[in-house]
This record gives sequence, structure tokens and C-alpha cells, in this order.
Amino acid sequence: MRILIVEDEPVLADGLTRSLRHADYAVDCLSEGGEADHVLTSQKYDLVILDLGLPKLDGFEVLRRLRHRGSRVPVLVLTARDTLDDRVKGLDLGADDYLTKPFELAELEARVRALIRRGHSGGGSVLSHGALSLDTAGRRAMLNGEPLDLSARELGVLEVLMLRSGRVVNKEQLAEQLYGWDEEVGANAIEVYVHRLRRKLEPAGVTIRTIRGLGYLLEKSPHG
Amino acid sequence: MAKTSTLRRQLIIWLAVPLAVLWSISTTVDYDIANQFVTSAYDRSLLDSAIDIGKQIKVIDGRIQADLPEVVLEMLITGEPGKFYYQITGPKGEYIAGHRDLPLPPEPDADKVSYYDAQYLGNHIRIAALYLPLEGDRNKGSVLIQAGETVTVRTDYARQIMLRMMLPQMVLILLAALAVWYAVGRGLAPLTALQREIASRSYRDLSALPEEQTPKEVQPLIHAMNELLERLSASLAAQQRFIADAAHQLRTPLAGIKTQTELALRQAQSADAQSTLRQLHTATEQTTRLINQLLSLARAEPGAERARTTERLDLARLARDTTTEWVPRALARDIDLGFDSPLAGAGVEGDSFLLKEMLNNLLDNAIRYTQPGGQVTVRVTPDTTSIVLSVEDNGPGIPVGERERAFERFHRVLGTGVEGCGLGLAIVREIAQSHGGDAALTTGTNGAGTLVRITLPMRA
Repeated sequence: MRILIVEDEPVLADGLTRSLRHADYAVDCLSEGGEADHVLTSQKYDLVILDLGLPKLDGFEVLRRLRHRGSRVPVLVLTARDTLDDRVKGLDLGADDYLTKPFELAELEARVRALIRRGHSGGGSVLSHGALSLDTAGRRAMLNGEPLDLSARELGVLEVLMLRSGRVVNKEQLAEQLYGWDEEVGANAIEVYVHRLRRKLEPAGVTIRTIRGLGYLLEKSPHG
Repeated sequence: MAKTSTLRRQLIIWLAVPLAVLWSISTTVDYDIANQFVTSAYDRSLLDSAIDIGKQIKVIDGRIQADLPEVVLEMLITGEPGKFYYQITGPKGEYIAGHRDLPLPPEPDADKVSYYDAQYLGNHIRIAALYLPLEGDRNKGSVLIQAGETVTVRTDYARQIMLRMMLPQMVLILLAALAVWYAVGRGLAPLTALQREIASRSYRDLSALPEEQTPKEVQPLIHAMNELLERLSASLAAQQRFIADAAHQLRTPLAGIKTQTELALRQAQSADAQSTLRQLHTATEQTTRLINQLLSLARAEPGAERARTTERLDLARLARDTTTEWVPRALARDIDLGFDSPLAGAGVEGDSFLLKEMLNNLLDNAIRYTQPGGQVTVRVTPDTTSIVLSVEDNGPGIPVGERERAFERFHRVLGTGVEGCGLGLAIVREIAQSHGGDAALTTGTNGAGTLVRITLPMRA
């Protein structure tokens, strides 16, 4: 896995490079927009981490040229600006994700993992959460290596929760996921599915928390 | 201290004082004119009396006699409350009839009737003197006939005439002053309206004042004020841009420090190094928070309108999304964070970044100051014309006496043992007010904890 970091602040660039190398990525680091633009025309990367406030050629322009050439490499934009305008402009130009400085290293690493996975998987992949794993292509879940007996809707709910593990998923998002199978999925139905899932997952110590008025959250497992 | 002069008072003084002077001059002139008319009219009647007396003079046997019965005399003085005097003197100056020693004319002239003032028996009198030739023959000598009366009547009369002229003039002056008073009021009405407009303005409103509806004379003043407002808001905007730029510039090096610290924390072997790095990390977090708050303040402050992007947005949705982002941090502190809103949509007009930052500050405070195991709830509810966003916790609460001061910048509630820079609530109020709303602190619903209530105007 090869990652290009384009960041002109040496302390930050060094920190990012070292942390990603620890995670066994091959990392190249550049500090200039023009240089990055040039390298991106010839080299192939699995992910680009791009700072917007670059000297000479800014990040917006590097991104615009990259997409103009038809490249679909995932781009994670870093910026010191946090106004909506900047965010919208970045995403309009084809950025895949956005982080405002300063950020948590763990957060950046999680996004890097997600972006690389998205860039590689042709739709199906195996999600894992502690002792729990879910094959999104094969549509089945395993707990401690044993197949879990889940209905299609329960599996759908679990998939959304696992995709966003550690973050809140609201009932509308769950309903959207289930819409394909069911014409109408009410809030009560979701509660039923979550209730059933809980009963099946509890013995293995996997907890789905209810967040008042907001939705559900698959609690982060101690094993990552 | 000198009394501030008003335009109205000045105009009235400048009008009334000259008018009063003119009025007193005119009064003197009027009195003179009245006196002349009265004098000539009364003199004429005195002459008539003298002539009437003259008709009663007869020469009998070479002796001059005047036959003036009381009836005739009474007739002469009919209707006159003043005293009437007369004297008839012969050609040789001998007394013939009437009141003795009535003062003689100062310049005797046989060909002319003379009128003069004199003192007689302690009274100021007016006398008409007339020389009548005896039996129509000048050569036989002339008789001097004097008719006089006290002047009280004529002065009274002159005074009355004068008064009758003065009164309408005085009324005229009063009416003129009143007219000026009213006209000034009317003329100044646009200024009064302008004053009301300025007085009712929020300190955040630095927009130009209307120039069109004011009188031409006042327009340069308003124009100058508008130019000042323009310069003021430009300088405020420049200052806020500087703060925003500085905050942005600080973010990148801070990101470097933070990343390096987190990396070092993973690798540090000794507990000592771990502890040092953890403190460094905490300091970085605090600096980040301070920078974000400075940015929010710079954007929420008056004059920063240009830096803002206002749009119609759904506050319930914004509050729900923002609260959702805080769930991991709440769970890490074992705090039950919840959201509650009966609204499908809560329309407000505002800057989504600022409103989000406002809620971020409230949630940050609530989660920071509430003990583990506590509860924090965000609510969006409708009021009659506003939408209420509230954040309630069952933490230690803020003493009643400290509540208003909690909104001041860099004020920290003492004894909480929690690190903070004291800008949070100041920002919350600044943002609420910049959206035409306000923020208030109360006690939580169960008589414990803190409830911060933000009211924002509802937009359909």
C-alpha cells in the first residue's frame, strides 16, 4: 500500500510519515504542490493525503488537475480552514474525505484505512469487530469462528453498525439500509431487529448501546 | 454646568427677544401717537368750551360782564370726570370771572389760540387760551378766555388706546413663538426619527443610516456618520480577519505538535516519559480549543457579518448531528448523552458553523463538568415565536450568583477542578445574540445541575 503525503509543515509531515510507516504503509512525502502534481502524473498511489494550504500550487489546484486527468485515487484533504465553503469546494473537486487541523492521529489512521479499503474493495469485504466478523459479499456473520444465525434484516442492521463501529447510527440510516427488502420499515421494526441482534451477540460480549434520541452504537471492542 | 441649548430654544430666543424689543419701541411710538390724537381731540373740545364761554361775554355800559349760570358751566363739563376751570380776563389784565389766578399763557399771542400745560391748585392741567375782541372790534381791546381741565382723563384715554394696540401685538408675538415651536418640532421630526432609529439599534448593527428622508441641511451630518460607521466596520472586520488568520496559521504547527506527541506516546517506554507526553498532549488539546474559540468569537462579533454565511437551516437536525459527534467523548467519560426534539424541522436563519460551534461549546462544558455516570440532554423545542435549544446536565451546577458572570470572557467558575479557558459561555452568548437570540443559565429540571437555554427567532 503506497501513500503520498503532500504537506509543507515539516513537523506535521514527519509525524504523519512515521506513524503511517509504523502501520506498514509505503509513504512518500512532498512539500510542494507543483512537485506533487508532477509526481502524481507518473506514480501510482493507493491514497493521497493532501494539505490545501500549499505554497505556489495550492491543494485545490493539485486535486482539480488530478481529477481532470481521470485519476480515481482516494484523496484525504487536510486543512486549517473549517468554513463550509472550503469543505464544499474540496468535496466538489473530488476529495473523498476531509480532516480539519489539528486532528487525532487515531482518527486519521482510521480514515486512511477506510479510504484504502473503499478504493480496493469492489463492493464486498470482510468487516471485523473483535470476535465478530461479517462478510459483506457472502452475506454471513461469524462469531468466534462459528456461523451466526441472522435474518437478512438483522444482518443488514449489523452491517451498518459494524461499518460505523464506535460511531452513532440513527434509525433513519438503519431504515434506509433495510429499504431494499422492505417497503416500509418503521422505527418499531428497527427496535425489534436491534433487540434480536443484542440477544444473539451478548453472549460474546458485543454490546449495542442505545443512545437516547440519537440511535445505536456498536461499542468499540478492546481488540480494535 | 451650562444648560445645553436646543435648536428650538435658540430659535425662539432669537425670535422673541428682537420681537420684544420691537414691541416695546412700538409701544412708546403707539403711546405718542395715541397721545397726539387724544390731545388734539380734547384740545379742540377745550377750545369749544372757551368759545362757548366767550359767547356769554357782554359789554354793558362799558363794563365787561360774563353771564355764566351754573347750568351752562355744568353743560360745559358734562361727562367729564375731570375738573373744569375757566377764567376771563379783561383787556387791561383785570379779573372778570371764573377761577382766579389760572396760569396765563407763556407766550401771549392775540392772533392765535394757544394750548399749554400748567400746574393749578396742585393739579396738572391743560389750558386753551383765546383772545376775543370786544364787540368784534379789535381796537376796543381783547378779552382773554381760558378754559382748562385736569389731564387725567386724556392720559387715561391715551393709555387705553395704547393698551388696545399692545394686546393684539403681544398675542401676535406669542402666536409667532408658538408657530416657531411647532415648526421646529416638525422640521426636526426626521431627526427625532433618526435618533429613535439609532437608539433602537443593536450595537452589532453598523449598517448605514438612511440619508434620503432627512432634510438637506442634516444630510451632510448623516453622511459623515455613515462614513464613520463604514470605517469602523472596516476596521473591526480587519481586526477579526487578523484574528481568524492568526488562528488558522496556528492550526498547522499545532497539528504537527499533536501528531508528534501522539506518536511519541505510543512509543514511550518509561512511565515518566508517558506522563510528560500526556501533559503535552493535554496542553495541545487546550490550545486547539482556545484557537477554535477565538475563531468563533472573531466570527460572531459585531462587524464580522461579512465573514459569515447566513442560510436557512434546520436547527433540530444541526443539533442532532452535532450531538451525535459528541457521543464517543461522552461514552469515554461514562456520561449518558441524549437528544430530544418533538420537531420534525426547526427553521432558523444563521451561520451553520457558528451555531454548531455554539452547541459544541455547550456540550464541551456539559461533558467536562458533569461527573461520570451523569446525564447530558440536548433539546430543541418550539416556543411561541422562537426555537429553544437547551443543554441540560445533572452535574454540580453553577451557583445563582455566578451565573451572569459565567457569560463573561475568561471567567472561570471556581472550585470545579476542571481545565478551561472561560471563553465557552461568552462565545455561546455572542453567537446567540448575533443571531437575534439570547442565552440564559438556569438550574436543571430536577433542581440540580445546569440548564443553558438558547432562544433563536423562528423562521417559517
